[in-house]
Amino acid sequence: MRSVSVIGIGETRMGRFPERSLRDLIREAGETALNDAGIESNEIQALFMSNFNAQFLNGQGHIGPLAAEVLGLGTIPAIRVEGACASGSLAFRQGLIAVASGLYDMVLVGGVEKMAHLSTESVTEGIASASDFAQEANQGATFPALFAMIANRYFHEYGNVREAMAICAVQNHENALLNPDAQLRKRITVEQVKNGLAIADPLTIYDCSLVSDGSAFVVLAATEVARTVCHKRLVEVVGSGHAGDTLTLASKGSLTTFAATINAAKQAYAMAGVGPTDIHFAEVHDCFTITQLINIEDLGFFPKGKGAFGVADGKTAASGPIPINVSGGLKAKGHPIGATGLSQIYEVVTQLRGEGGARQLPRADLGLTHNIGGTAATCVVNIFRGR
Amino acid sequence: MSRRGTLFTYSVVHSGMDAFKVQTPYVVALVEEDRQIRLARVEGYTGRQELAVGMEVEFMAEDQEGHPIYRFSACPD
Repeated sequence: MRSVSVIGIGETRMGRFPERSLRDLIREAGETALNDAGIESNEIQALFMSNFNAQFLNGQGHIGPLAAEVLGLGTIPAIRVEGACASGSLAFRQGLIAVASGLYDMVLVGGVEKMAHLSTESVTEGIASASDFAQEANQGATFPALFAMIANRYFHEYGNVREAMAICAVQNHENALLNPDAQLRKRITVEQVKNGLAIADPLTIYDCSLVSDGSAFVVLAATEVARTVCHKRLVEVVGSGHAGDTLTLASKGSLTTFAATINAAKQAYAMAGVGPTDIHFAEVHDCFTITQLINIEDLGFFPKGKGAFGVADGKTAASGPIPINVSGGLKAKGHPIGATGLSQIYEVVTQLRGEGGARQLPRADLGLTHNIGGTAATCVVNIFRGR
Repeated sequence: MSRRGTLFTYSVVHSGMDAFKVQTPYVVALVEEDRQIRLARVEGYTGRQELAVGMEVEFMAEDQEGHPIYRFSACPD
């Protein structure tokens, strides 16, 4: 397998953009990534396009050719990749494998979702198809309800971590204040999170990630090729892992540790030849606050059941030893589902290049992204090193 | 003798899809019965029950697709 590097990144602002089309979002993020890489569109040999559910949300399928047309990529192969909320990282991994195998030297990976124009009930129904629709959604188990059940089970096994969950939301909002691409840039308090509008107990509206429109793109190249075209700090993909688990919550071996994360992380760490303590910072899937707590434990940043103490001690804050979601995360930067995994990669590459502006971390040579789909039925973990 | 299960975990849902909107707040749970864990609706939530993992619930029926429905035991009020 060949070494692969990221040579270009681009994203839109995340937010509610009723006036913007899928095409419009794709154009902005895709062209930004190509310009950032300093290459022409005819140098791209394949397009891997992530989208979760435009068929339901926008009546649009066949996103691969749609994006290829918008970006003027001609007749190159274009494919859509779907893995619920992990779609973006999953598409990234397919692009990575395609370049690493030697099949292509340079590919484009993109993601897009447009969902904020629909009512909360419709969005809830659209997202519900990432769970088992017949056995879960149709029984009234919405996505927040599934993760609320995970939270209540976690409380039973490890103690009540309500306060630390709230701190995750507060920290992510704090980080988003410095990110111009973030959807919500406002400070919130622990009390606001705990006393917010009840969605599915114990989760309030402030425990839930955002409903967002947005797009993000990444250009990947074989490192040997990247060295000849890339004028910025080269960001090598040094580790990547992908694992799965049962679709339904009731069939999982554990609700409080995600087997897909454990296995994807194990693969990524082994490939990179590093461990959790080597990682400088991470973008970690925070669809709900409880998810972020479980994930930082499963990734090995904290022992099982101790993540809450780490969060409460400020260890995951931007100023802490292992900053988590310095972008603002899904909670405050936004969660345009198909674009989310790529938006996480956008942040890690930005930090590794030292282009984070007001939110630039002082120590940023080795970064990790973690992205799950459904109730962690799909997980992709990637590790990036600045060269 | 009635069939009983226990709550493996649960949530009171306040915001649902259109189809369930009128029923909020309602309870969904993973109910353990005979060492098997299944997702189920638990009927009879009044807002006064103190829910907890391990709490007993009574099997009520299976719906048309075979999904189990449980109910909270009648509370003294």
